[in-house]
Amino acid sequence: MTRLRRFGRIVFAILRELADENAYQRHLAAHGREHSGAEWRRFSEERLRAKYARAKCC
Amino acid sequence: MKLLSHLLWGAIAVAAAVCLGGVALIRGEHINSIWLVLAAACTYITAYRFYGRFVAARVMALDDQRATPAERLRNGHDFEPTNKWILLGHHFAAIAGPGPLVGPVLAAQFGYLPGTLWIVIGAVLGGAVQDFVILFASMRRDGKSLGKMAREEIGKVGGFIALVTVLIIMVILLAVVGLVVVNALRGSPWGTFTIAATMPVALFMGLYLRYWRPGKVLECSAIGFVLVLASIFGGRFVGASASLAPMFTLSAMALAIGIIVYGFLASALPVWMLLAPRDYLSTFVKLGVVFMLAVGILFVRPELQLPAFTRFVDGTGPIFAGKIFPFCFITIACGAVSGFHSLISSGTTPKMIAKEWHAVPVGYGSMLMESFVAIMAMIAACVLQPGVYFAVNSPAGVVGATPAAAAATISHWGFPVTAATMAQLAKDVGENTLFFRTGGAPSLALGMAHIFARTGGGAVIGFWYHFAIMFEALFILTIIDAGTRVGRFMLQDLLSHVAPPLGRMMWMPGVILTSGMVVAAWGYFLIQGVRDPLGGINSLWPLFGISNQLLATIALSVATTILLKMHGARYAWITFAPLAWLVTVTFTAGSQKIFSPLPAIGFLAQADKLAAAGAAGTATQTLIFNARLDAAVCGVLMALVAVVLVDSARVWVGILRGTADARVREAPFVPSRLQAEEI
Repeated sequence: MTRLRRFGRIVFAILRELADENAYQRHLAAHGREHSGAEWRRFSEERLRAKYARAKCC
Repeated sequence: MKLLSHLLWGAIAVAAAVCLGGVALIRGEHINSIWLVLAAACTYITAYRFYGRFVAARVMALDDQRATPAERLRNGHDFEPTNKWILLGHHFAAIAGPGPLVGPVLAAQFGYLPGTLWIVIGAVLGGAVQDFVILFASMRRDGKSLGKMAREEIGKVGGFIALVTVLIIMVILLAVVGLVVVNALRGSPWGTFTIAATMPVALFMGLYLRYWRPGKVLECSAIGFVLVLASIFGGRFVGASASLAPMFTLSAMALAIGIIVYGFLASALPVWMLLAPRDYLSTFVKLGVVFMLAVGILFVRPELQLPAFTRFVDGTGPIFAGKIFPFCFITIACGAVSGFHSLISSGTTPKMIAKEWHAVPVGYGSMLMESFVAIMAMIAACVLQPGVYFAVNSPAGVVGATPAAAAATISHWGFPVTAATMAQLAKDVGENTLFFRTGGAPSLALGMAHIFARTGGGAVIGFWYHFAIMFEALFILTIIDAGTRVGRFMLQDLLSHVAPPLGRMMWMPGVILTSGMVVAAWGYFLIQGVRDPLGGINSLWPLFGISNQLLATIALSVATTILLKMHGARYAWITFAPLAWLVTVTFTAGSQKIFSPLPAIGFLAQADKLAAAGAAGTATQTLIFNARLDAAVCGVLMALVAVVLVDSARVWVGILRGTADARVREAPFVPSRLQAEEI
């Protein structure tokens, strides 16, 4: 049961990483800021600009 | 305990050998797909445990005491030490595109055996090694890109050629995946409505994320997924409606123009509005469907209906012409060896590795997982009746323009099928027809639907078919808009040397001009594919395969140079062997595509045949020009990579003779202080 829970946590963490939610938390922590709509937009614009400057794999 | 471990690994290795032997040697009866699954899984596990760890320990000398760039350069953005399983999922999601799904489906025309063996062996000895070594090299060089490493390790020419090759690959890739979508949606109101509905869904998601619930990406994606599922049901209603169905029943040319316009708009619009939300959604759907397919195959354990080898091993295949060697090995690129992966392995991933040994599961392991996706695609194609498989995938120009003529031709080949069977199947999945649906996506969707709805009736199989089409089209369209944007950036960067304002990312005239140029480039090839009487896939997919494998040639040249600098000739075979194989395959395929005297294979022979036929119409002249253009593109790619190879060989000889600079350009050793609880 513990292993299953751990597996579930890892799967959820992967989904959060793919969703950029982990990266957003790191961004808030690194800059010592609080979550807000404006902060998300600032983070998201910078993140997406870098993300879509790279080719997507075939 | 040690004895038990030896016995366990011995048993897995024996299981791999027995299953591979069974797959390769059983003839004259249908084999169960579980043989393929076990053969692949046991081979991957054994290879990962022994070969992957051998390369990691002996060749790379991975050292967890050495700080990675993620630790040394940590900035909370690109450089961030990340849990290895999270990074594995992230890397896998980044490398898994439509390639490992479509390539094996097309290569199934040779039978299940050639493609399966290439997928398993190619991944273990080639693809996974390439991804792993490039990831390692980039990790030891502060996360440098393949282009930068090529410039530093081989010379300026290598770096420049890598950049140009990527641009050409992207143009061909976008055209060919666009063609896959066009052929999947042509004449299909259900499918067209479903995919069209994903656009307002993505716009809604974009607004939701930006203004209503900022940062709630998972929540937003779940809502988006429900809406997309609803659009599949809506598509069924539209397909059955006498008034709505004609509005969504589009010709191939109308769909191609629609995709071109979409690519242009999506590339010029802000990313948060359309591209990003759809990318999130397609990533989750992709992972979910791959997981569902794995569970479905294990649960249903379908029998393969295609034989180990078909008659088309002689090169007369209707889907694409050419013999197993070399065409099987360029048709399946992603899933076995894919040069494109080297861009991901030298992109974000090396900047997120917390400990050096994590590169084994992330670099080597991810590629084995992608290879397994390719095996599942092969199974999905091979569970179809051979007659159905060829009826769906063969172009009208080869099998005959009417259902009756096509069924007769395919049955004559020894794969019985009737027009009535195909009509019933089309009715079951809610399509007007399933004949001439080249490109691989419809037959993959049929195979997946067959697995998912094994015990269901017609309505269920129809839903699953359109679910699979939605899944394929969703992430293909994401590749189209993201790829167009990346191409635009590359072009803006290139043109800024001539006209500096064009390099400004926010200057609208520059954005529109460069977006238009990129869209025009891939759009031209897409239209060419639509007009091609042989279905387009026959010419575009091999071009894509050749260009992708040529990029792998560049990546493996860089990897070989690095290994030579590290160890001399001792371990260079690890990357040199797959490199030699790829050079042989791609240059043989490339030269056959240009110079083969058979019009079905050679571009120039095809142009000559059309010219000799004497038809002077504009359409014929365009076909002749297109065939010559394809030959030129193929020739340019081969010439560019030949230059890199010659340049690399010059460096290798210098290293071995001691006349060239053999210094390893790694970042200096810094001891790691990263604590286990931080990752």
